[in-house]
Amino acid sequence: MKNPQYLKILFLVLSGVLGLLAGIEFWELRHYKETVVVSEDFTEKVMLSQYLPSLKNTWGDTPIYVYDSGVPGGSMLVLGGTHPYEPATSLATYVMMENIDVTSGKVYIIPHANMSASTLGMLGNAYIKYYHIETTWGQKKFRVGDRNTNPLDQWPDPFTYVHYPSTQNLAYQDIRNLNRTFPGRPDGTLTERISYAIMELIRNEDIDIFFDFHEASLMYPVVSTYVAHDRSMDISMMAAMMLSATQFPMKSEASPKNLRGLTHREVGDFSNTLAILMETPEAFIDRVVGRMSEELMLEGKDEFLQTAAEKGLVYCDYDIYEGFPDALGNMIIGTPMDYRVGRHLSGTLEALNWMNQFFPDKAISVTFPNYVDVMNNGSGHYLHDPSKADPSRVFQN
Amino acid sequence: MYLQTTIIAIIMVATFALASWKLKSPEISMVITAIVGALVGGFGFPSRLLVEGMFTYFDVGMIFLTASIFINIYSETGAMNALVRWIVKQFYDRKWLMLILLGILMIIPGALTGAGSVSIFVVGGLVASVMNYMGFTKRRVAAFIYLFAMLAAVSPPINLWAMLMAAQANMPYVGFNVVLLVPIVIIALFTIIYTGTSKTPERKNKEHILSELPLPPEGMNWFKIITPFAVLLVLILISKFAAFSIPVLGLPLTFVICAFVSAMMDRKRWDVRKWFGVMVKTMDQVFPLLATVISVGALVNIMTATGVRGLLAITFITLPMVLIYITALLFAPFAQGALSYGSAIILGTPIIFLFNSIGLNVTVTAAALSFLFPLGDCLPPSRIVGRLTVETVGYEGSYMSFLKAIAIPWLFMGAIGLLMLIFPNQLDFLVVY
Repeated sequence: MKNPQYLKILFLVLSGVLGLLAGIEFWELRHYKETVVVSEDFTEKVMLSQYLPSLKNTWGDTPIYVYDSGVPGGSMLVLGGTHPYEPATSLATYVMMENIDVTSGKVYIIPHANMSASTLGMLGNAYIKYYHIETTWGQKKFRVGDRNTNPLDQWPDPFTYVHYPSTQNLAYQDIRNLNRTFPGRPDGTLTERISYAIMELIRNEDIDIFFDFHEASLMYPVVSTYVAHDRSMDISMMAAMMLSATQFPMKSEASPKNLRGLTHREVGDFSNTLAILMETPEAFIDRVVGRMSEELMLEGKDEFLQTAAEKGLVYCDYDIYEGFPDALGNMIIGTPMDYRVGRHLSGTLEALNWMNQFFPDKAISVTFPNYVDVMNNGSGHYLHDPSKADPSRVFQN
Repeated sequence: MYLQTTIIAIIMVATFALASWKLKSPEISMVITAIVGALVGGFGFPSRLLVEGMFTYFDVGMIFLTASIFINIYSETGAMNALVRWIVKQFYDRKWLMLILLGILMIIPGALTGAGSVSIFVVGGLVASVMNYMGFTKRRVAAFIYLFAMLAAVSPPINLWAMLMAAQANMPYVGFNVVLLVPIVIIALFTIIYTGTSKTPERKNKEHILSELPLPPEGMNWFKIITPFAVLLVLILISKFAAFSIPVLGLPLTFVICAFVSAMMDRKRWDVRKWFGVMVKTMDQVFPLLATVISVGALVNIMTATGVRGLLAITFITLPMVLIYITALLFAPFAQGALSYGSAIILGTPIIFLFNSIGLNVTVTAAALSFLFPLGDCLPPSRIVGRLTVETVGYEGSYMSFLKAIAIPWLFMGAIGLLMLIFPNQLDFLVVY
């Protein structure tokens, strides 16, 4: 039986209203800007498009914050937000950017390596749009994005993704995954161009050590791990041992040679830098967790995941009731944001420490809050009030 | 959390059952279920989550629509009838050879694109017509087409389930060719024998069939018959083998190009009104399927938000190993029915990690799972490939009778997948790099 005309019109109107209501939320998320107050050692902000002009005026362009001590030394590049749905990575770079003190060498920080991917949640995964961090001066709001580039900026996907230049076949949506498109192509897709521009930054600025911050599901074996390119293995192994003994559990793995497109492999292969990727545990992105909420994102306490842990199905310490002790005696309950941010900060400092010892000619001298600081005071303690800061040091991402 | 999520799950199941019974529309019932789930779960009216979910399978919907436009325009030119006529003429007396050729024909589009539905769209109608004229019952035709669509999706080079599991588990997608092809050949032979040995009481003689088939339109020739498919094949092959030399086309645009080429093969190629009519007819035809993928997406998004998806996943992967084997043939297909390719990520990846931790070969395990997941493409709530088969074959019985019709080869494929899952280490010689 045909539906009457009025019913069709009613559904059309309802769909329009639904689309409008949702559209407002999508627009707000896409255009919401995070604020950062850079430290006094900040030198300049450049855009990634400086290294590949075709990125200009696209959602692939993203700010690079430069901290140049003016004193000879090595150079470091830190990526946050390669996968924006791993938000401790961007937050760790913000804590770094707001507090860093560089006494020798030069530091480049990209808080949103894939800006486009930070402007939409992952379809079908019901992600929250934002999370909030308590600071001494109020709440600060941040975006939670997707794993892949927003389809509004790069569409359609092919039926299979052929990685350049290896020609390895990968799942189709990985063509929008920044951590599968390295070393990239100057005339490729938006994501490949972002990769290429980052490679150009590394090659042109002669970056000595490169960090790519990530978060992993707890059921992923590489969680709580350094994944290092062949040349960085000594650094990551020593750093992992030191961290495990003195701060928190950390593993070290060699970058597989037959898995292409990832930063720890391609950045090392296609430049002279020492490439290291770091993974922290993020319960929110595990596939078996319950209700998707801001609490889950910030605290990482989930009963379903606890069951998985009790059955030996997770690859790091996890306890939502009594917690597990780190090397400093803190009890870690769930996977709290401060724990994850602190891990990235100390993970970077410890690897830098070992690079300085192995390669004194590349030594970089920096300080910023570490795991102990963040665990004691919270990440929010290190985020400054933009309304009281020197406007020339306030930026939006 | 367990209790609360279980209550939400029960309310959602009850809502779906009630809405389906009252409204007789699984699609609207799914959306209502999603809204009720969100309300009960404390998400209020979830406008963003609903719309976000509706776009989860946007690309799939676009492929369905454009592939249908292509094949309907191709049929409108008369090329399809000419092709069926030729196959009947050549193969009427060579049943087994014909079934093997039709099977290979079914596998190619899905193997190249990773989607069994593409096989049905592109060659399913042709295969169904030929088999109907050869006197096979609709039940056997449906079973043949559904099984080969599944095998097409599983077949290398593009097996999306294996690719997704490999991507999630940081495994390279290599070493899968032989371990997929050997079981595919076994299942294909079984299906061909199952079909070929069936009775064909209504089989008419060759001349009678040819007299029934519409005559090809004036000017129809092999160039016109082959060119649209040749263009499709070339576009698919250059997208894979010359990917760095062309922009990303995507399957929807590929099918639109082929539809245009088909239209250009027609004598009345500039008859815009005719093509517009074909597109309107296609939209009518595909609309229910589009409604399904859109509403499944909305439902899955709310299941995820409320934790119901997590509850199902944790329940399965924490079963004792024996129970995992016993229930795999239930859980894996139903996950596919609900989550489509998401099943590989939600259930497949944890199983890969679980099996890896006890020393079982993960490549064979991933291959085995990729035989189990597609079995669910005929199961609710989505039933995508099942419904496509029913529509393409013109199957007139109830959906339940269609499921019964495909049961034997379906179970055979399930048994092969299950055996691979149970004995991955004994089969690791099939993993060839």
